[in-house]
Amino acid sequence: MAGRGGSTPATYSPSPATQNKKKKAPIFTDSDWVRPDTRGFTQCRPAFFRTGAVNAASGSAYAEIGDTKVIVSVFGPRESKKAMMYSDIGRLNCNVSYTTFATPVRGQGSDNKEFSSMLHKALEGAIILDSFPKTTVDVFALVLESGGSDLPVVISCASVALADAGIMMYDLVASVSVSCLGKNLIIDPVLEEESYQDGSLMISSMPSRDEVTQLTITGEWSAAKIHEAMTLCLDACSKLGKIMRSCLKEAALASQE
Amino acid sequence: MVGLSAGEKHFIQGGIAQDLRADGRKRLTYRPIYVETGVIPQADGSAKVKMGATEVIASVKLDLARPNPSQPGKGKVSLFVSCSATAGPMFEGRGSEELSTELSVALQRCLLGGKSGAGAAFDPSCLSIVDGKLCWDAYIDGLVVSADGNLLDALGAAIKAALTNTRVPVANVPAGASLDEDPDVDLSSQETTRIDTSGVPVIVTLTKVGRHYIVDATSEEESQMSSAVSVSINKERRICGLTKRGGAGLDPSIILDMISVASHVSEQLMNKLDSEIAAAEADEQDI
Repeated sequence: MAGRGGSTPATYSPSPATQNKKKKAPIFTDSDWVRPDTRGFTQCRPAFFRTGAVNAASGSAYAEIGDTKVIVSVFGPRESKKAMMYSDIGRLNCNVSYTTFATPVRGQGSDNKEFSSMLHKALEGAIILDSFPKTTVDVFALVLESGGSDLPVVISCASVALADAGIMMYDLVASVSVSCLGKNLIIDPVLEEESYQDGSLMISSMPSRDEVTQLTITGEWSAAKIHEAMTLCLDACSKLGKIMRSCLKEAALASQE
Repeated sequence: MVGLSAGEKHFIQGGIAQDLRADGRKRLTYRPIYVETGVIPQADGSAKVKMGATEVIASVKLDLARPNPSQPGKGKVSLFVSCSATAGPMFEGRGSEELSTELSVALQRCLLGGKSGAGAAFDPSCLSIVDGKLCWDAYIDGLVVSADGNLLDALGAAIKAALTNTRVPVANVPAGASLDEDPDVDLSSQETTRIDTSGVPVIVTLTKVGRHYIVDATSEEESQMSSAVSVSINKERRICGLTKRGGAGLDPSIILDMISVASHVSEQLMNKLDSEIAAAEADEQDI
């Protein structure tokens, strides 16, 4: 009724940044890329892990690395479905899903259907499957907000959740990805950097055993660049592993009191 | 797939350790490769590749479409692999979904390059007709007809052959036609252009059994693997994609060693494939 006078009342309009869907051509081919959050090229975002996020689960963890927020819950070991064949080693079942509000454009997360199998591959090398024969361990990951480098955060959070659930593992799995923009290697990219990347390298490793459980490379690389990127990532993985360990220790101490 | 007895497993692992595999090959030798192009007449490009008992078919179909607003001068390329139930009863219905997704993702990673297009198999701007308004969408489909190990390498070779075989129709857009609605595009069925496939990489899968790597594993050898690394390498020996498969952990130095071995093997494979594809194309034109 108030609007009938002819002048539309001032209402909230979304900020121009979210309306701007046009992609500007990247202008960093000559000069070096300047990261939006003023980090150095070899600097990762600060990582935050907390266990016990979900009460109903055997184990769970919440991870926040930059803007990427992930929650993982682990159920099991529980009885395998009757339809499945007998197996004298345990089974791992992984599922990664995005909330509809996780991405800037609603519903974009459903493009990443392969993340479930990639999470499975990253974790299966670290879990001692012989310790729970005939049963299944379910790992459900939910990405609450996608801020870049999603799958590495999911993998790291999932291994903290598995540790919280008491599943026996050879070592924690830490995961880091590196993007190649022109001639620069930048670690732990944000969403904007991932959209401009020429190539990416994602590594999941067990830091204490110095073993790589998963490695995927896209884009064009030379062997020397791969070597450089791998050493960078493995170093970051070991540091991330220490952070994950200290989070688990805190949680254990807190529950003892 | 028939199960293996303990004796057979020991035989396979011991043979690989002594550089003499069950079919007499050395560790880094491929099975004989047969390439046939133009096997699907309705497709714009197609090829069939046989590596031993593994048989795969790849087809390329082109459809007129509007280009992506963020990349107006390029056509879209999408890649998908499916496994036919003729390869084995475990591929019937939903059983093949997991393997198909894994193969599709690995091939997309190896052949479609990074988000900005670097490292892609071919330049998608050759698919553009009118900048920003009209382009060809390329749908590359792979089909596994018979599976005896090393599916990824065979599919990579088949897609390379299918792309070489693809004939892109020349589209004549009448001058002054409004391109905002569906235009009447005149498709000349006689004039066709080819796609430049000199940059298409080959995929080499190295399977680690015990302490040694083998190339072109049969499905029996694959059942004994601890892990495998599939590397996609192009003519300039640049690595266009890499996927580590299998659950076991690998030392980083071993991965770098596998990359250099794959790079070495890729040269022979690339030459063999190029000559086979050229021969197949020549045969097809003679018919």
